[in-house]
Order: sequence, then structure tokens, then C-alpha cells
Amino acid sequence: MNELESRLLKTGAERLALLGKHAERLMQGYTRDDVPLDGLNDSALRKLLAARVLWRPDEQSGVKLAPKVRELIAEMLADETRRHVNADVAETLELVRSLVHSYREARSRSEHWRQEQQLLRLRQEVDDLNGRFADAIDSLWQRLNSDFGFVSQLSDKIRENDRAQKQIVRLLDGLVLIDFDELIALVGSDGSLRKLLISQLQQRLSHHYTSLREVQRRLIELMARFRKQQARSRLISGMVAFMREHPGFVPGNYAKRSDVPALFNHAAPLNAAAAPALDRALENRVLAELLHKLPTPRHAAQTVESAVAALTPEDNLAAARQQALKQDVERFYLAVLDQPPAEPISALAYLYDSHLEWPDEIWLFQVISEYQGLPRSEQQAFRLHQEESPASSFNDLRLIHDVALAVAV
Amino acid sequence: MIEHGPLLERLLAGEFVCAVSDDNAFRHLANEETRDAIDLYLRPLNRRLASNEEGSVYFLAWRQLNEAAREQLSRQLNDTVNSLLPLLEWLQLVQEALGRDTLAAPGDVLKPAEFSAKCEDNQSLRERLEKLATDSFFGSQSDQLDAQVKQLFKRLKEHGYLLQPHTERQVFVVTGKIDYLIEMVRFIRDEENLPIDGEREEGAQEALL
Repeated sequence: MNELESRLLKTGAERLALLGKHAERLMQGYTRDDVPLDGLNDSALRKLLAARVLWRPDEQSGVKLAPKVRELIAEMLADETRRHVNADVAETLELVRSLVHSYREARSRSEHWRQEQQLLRLRQEVDDLNGRFADAIDSLWQRLNSDFGFVSQLSDKIRENDRAQKQIVRLLDGLVLIDFDELIALVGSDGSLRKLLISQLQQRLSHHYTSLREVQRRLIELMARFRKQQARSRLISGMVAFMREHPGFVPGNYAKRSDVPALFNHAAPLNAAAAPALDRALENRVLAELLHKLPTPRHAAQTVESAVAALTPEDNLAAARQQALKQDVERFYLAVLDQPPAEPISALAYLYDSHLEWPDEIWLFQVISEYQGLPRSEQQAFRLHQEESPASSFNDLRLIHDVALAVAV
Repeated sequence: MIEHGPLLERLLAGEFVCAVSDDNAFRHLANEETRDAIDLYLRPLNRRLASNEEGSVYFLAWRQLNEAAREQLSRQLNDTVNSLLPLLEWLQLVQEALGRDTLAAPGDVLKPAEFSAKCEDNQSLRERLEKLATDSFFGSQSDQLDAQVKQLFKRLKEHGYLLQPHTERQVFVVTGKIDYLIEMVRFIRDEENLPIDGEREEGAQEALL
């Protein structure tokens, strides 16, 4: 390390330390007009001025933060209101050109140390250029993603969006300045220069270009949304004001026009009603389950008019058969009444004699249930004798084989 | 068609379907084939699928405008005109009370409690709220601020402008029907040549896109 470089390092580190040492005071300067000087001694102030951290526009005015320091702080805080977007491409290109010339000069004279120094500075310049684009793009995305949340009024958002779009245009103009044909001619056949200034730079810049285009597209979209919101607010407040001024205002009856405006053609609601149906055996079980799950009503059921469960032909048939059986059994009872008293008639015998087709069991069941269904006074007019036997010697279940019915004496 | 059963039912019931009220159905409706299939199904019911200009909300329109349909539309238009001022005033009140720089838009979350708190602190907002709540459209009978706010949100929910994702939580989301309302206002302004300035710049920006 040579003497120059070590001095540079020492001074740089000393001056950087000033930033930390006076951090709070500098931040006060960032948020206000001037940097407050109370409690700051002369030598410290001189150091800050010498390091160009602070500057004084003229003797009368206060001490202010240097623009670069202000920018640094804005950058560190991602303070979008004050972050600058400036790629300074033209100046960088100037510098790159002169550095390349100086580098080639050093190479032709075989001054390796100088050659390396120039290459290092070139790399730094290219990195800086990249960094500036990356920073600018980052700042644009930040603003976009926050919907310009750092300003509260819609009109301010529209202005900020406009400003951001102009910045993009400037950045894109800057990118256009970089002419790779010129750079190719400039670097000639030098491998390390070619890598640095052509392949790497081209790749990065095309990446920046894509990002800028994307952010531009999104900003325009957002602007359209802002404008739409603004228009909506104005429309609504305009209409409210108008309707308050004209309380009797009635628009035309658009529904009576030959061509009804699409917006006003909103059809009447239609209720897709449904009722339980019993015409599918499979579903009957589901319905029965649902029925069982119904909570018992806490109050007396009210009669309501509602859809009646649909009856199937099968159900109708069963009801008709039931009715026929009942009538046959009633005829049997009448036959018993025609008999002399106390002369029982066997139900099964009657069934066979009358050539009726009912199964024995169903017939007997209906005869018994008819008897039990009679009012008590009428029941006393009949005597029902059940011919029964136990199911087995060990089971006292009684099996009815026949019943005999007679008029009671 | 079976998969669209619930959607059809909602549409038939007169609901407006948007990305907020039913994201899934809304995405299905973006597909032209689905829309055609639904239209075909609705044909015997004399209805067809319609949307607002922006395409942000779908609803059912009459396919053939017979006398009965026109009668119903006339009544509906009358209701709409009568509810217009309270609805628009509500939009303005929300915007001002919550200190927003834009009108409530689909997807915005509104909390009655926040709204109440803001109106409570500000006499002028409080008076406007009172006047609005007792308007026949909102029909609040109460003189309590919270009850009035509750009634406002309840009515707006009934009319489909707000959605309450969880019945037990007092949080509402603005639906796409707001877009429909605003388009109606714009239509009336243009149709009746009302002296209302507003969106001169909108066209220019859209042309830019």
C-alpha cells in the first residue's frame, strides 16, 4: 500500500466517523431547514464543513446539510419523498472513455500498477452506474407498491405518479445513451475490458431496461386507477349536490324505452323452491332420517298451506287395497249380525267360504283391529274369541290360529 | 351445468355476483363458454346473463321485455331513484369519516365500530349520520348512534352493497354492486345532461393505455 492510499484511507475513515459522531444533529438538519449549531464547538463545525458534510450558502444564512449527505440519508431511509433518481449516464460514459484510454496507455507502456488502478476504477464506475439504476428502480417499485402511501391526498398521489413516470423516461433516455457499438470499438481486443464493459454491462442493462418498462406499465395502470377514483369522487359529489338542489328530480323512465339500457334491465327475483318428494324409494330413507332429526316443535303446530308430499301410483294402490280389505271385513261383521245370537262364526271359515283372496294372517289382523277400533258401546255387542296356543312349551308367546265372532247375548 | 347450480340459484334470486361476493363463480363467469351455457339454460325462464360495462359484476336481465317485465323494471327504477341520494350520501360520509381520499371500492373493508367512533367525535358527521339513518331508505327508529350505524350496515347488506363474511364479526366488505351503482349514476348524468363535471380526464388516460 502506498503512502497516498493509506492517507486516503485514514482521512476517509475519519470523515465517515463524523457522520456517526453528529448523527442526531445531522438528522435534525435533514428534517428542518438548518442544522442546529448550539453546543457545537468551532473546531467540530470546521471539520464538518471541510468534509463537505455541511455547507453554508452565505455568511448570513444557517448551516445546511450537503446535498450528497441528504441524498445518502434519503437513500438509507428509503424516504421516497426525497429520494433522488438520477443515473447520470452521460457523465459516467465520459469518465469510462477517458479511463479506457488511460488504461490502454498504461498497458502499451507496460505500467502494470497504473493499468490495474485504471481497471479497478473502471470496475467501480460500472458498478456505480449499475447501482444507480438498481437504486432508482428500487425506489420506483417502493413507491408503486405502497400506492404512493407517503402522500395522503389523491391529487398528490397523481402528481407523485406523474413525477415517477417522468423519472422513468429520463432513466430510459439514459440507457439509450449507452451505445454498445461504440463501446465495442473502444475496448478493442482486450479481454478483461470486453468482459467488463460489454458482456456484463449489456446483461445488466437489459435487465434494468425490462424492469423499467415493467414499472412504467404498472405506474400507468395505477395512474388510470387514481384518475378513475378521482372521477368517481367528483361524479358522486356532483350528483349529490345536484339532487339536493333539485329535490324533485326524476330521470326518464328508461324501462319504457324501446331499447332498455342494459344497466336498468335487472330481472325480477325468482325463487327456486322445492318440497320433499316421496317418489324415489332411495330418497325416502333420507327423508325419513331428516324427519327424525327434526326438533320437536315447542309450540302447537299451525296449519299452513304448503306443498303436499307427492303420492305415487303405488301408494294409491296400497290405499285402495287397504280400503277393500276394510270393506270385506265390515261385510263379515254384518254377516255375524245376521246370525242367531251366540252362534260364533270363524273368521277363517268365512274367508274361505266367501272366496276372498286375502292372506289368512292379514285377514285375521284386520278382523281383530276392526273389533278394537269399534267404540266401546258397539264393542260390547260382539264377543270375540281368539283361538290361540303358546308358541312352544318353553315360550309363552301366544299364536292366534283363528278368531270366532258372535253377537253377544 | 350441475356445478353451477348454486350460482344459478343466486343469480335467479336477483343477486349480483362479483369477485368479492363469490370469487370462484366470478372466475367461472369470465369464461365465455360458461356464460353461453348459462344463457341457454335461462332461455325458457326469459332471462339472460348481463354485466355492467366494466364487467365487474354479473346479474340476470330479462331476455324478452314484455309488458309485465317493463312494469317491474319501472317500479325498480323508481325504487333506485328514491334510494340514490341516501346511498350516495352514505358513500361520501364513509369517505369523509374514515379520512379516505377515495370512495369505498369493491374489496374495501369497513368496520361499523370504526365508523361509529369517527362520527362520535365529530358533531357535523354525527348530524349527517343521524339525518341519513332516519331517511326512509335506511329507516332507523333509534336515536342511539351505534344502533343507527348498525341499521345502515344492515340495510346496505340487504341490498347487496356490503358483504359480511362472518355473521358473528362486525366486519363488512364492499361488493362490486357499488360499481353498478356508480355506473347508473354516470348513465343518468349523461342521459339527462346533468350539469355535473367529473371525469373528463378518464377517457384521456384510458386512451393512453
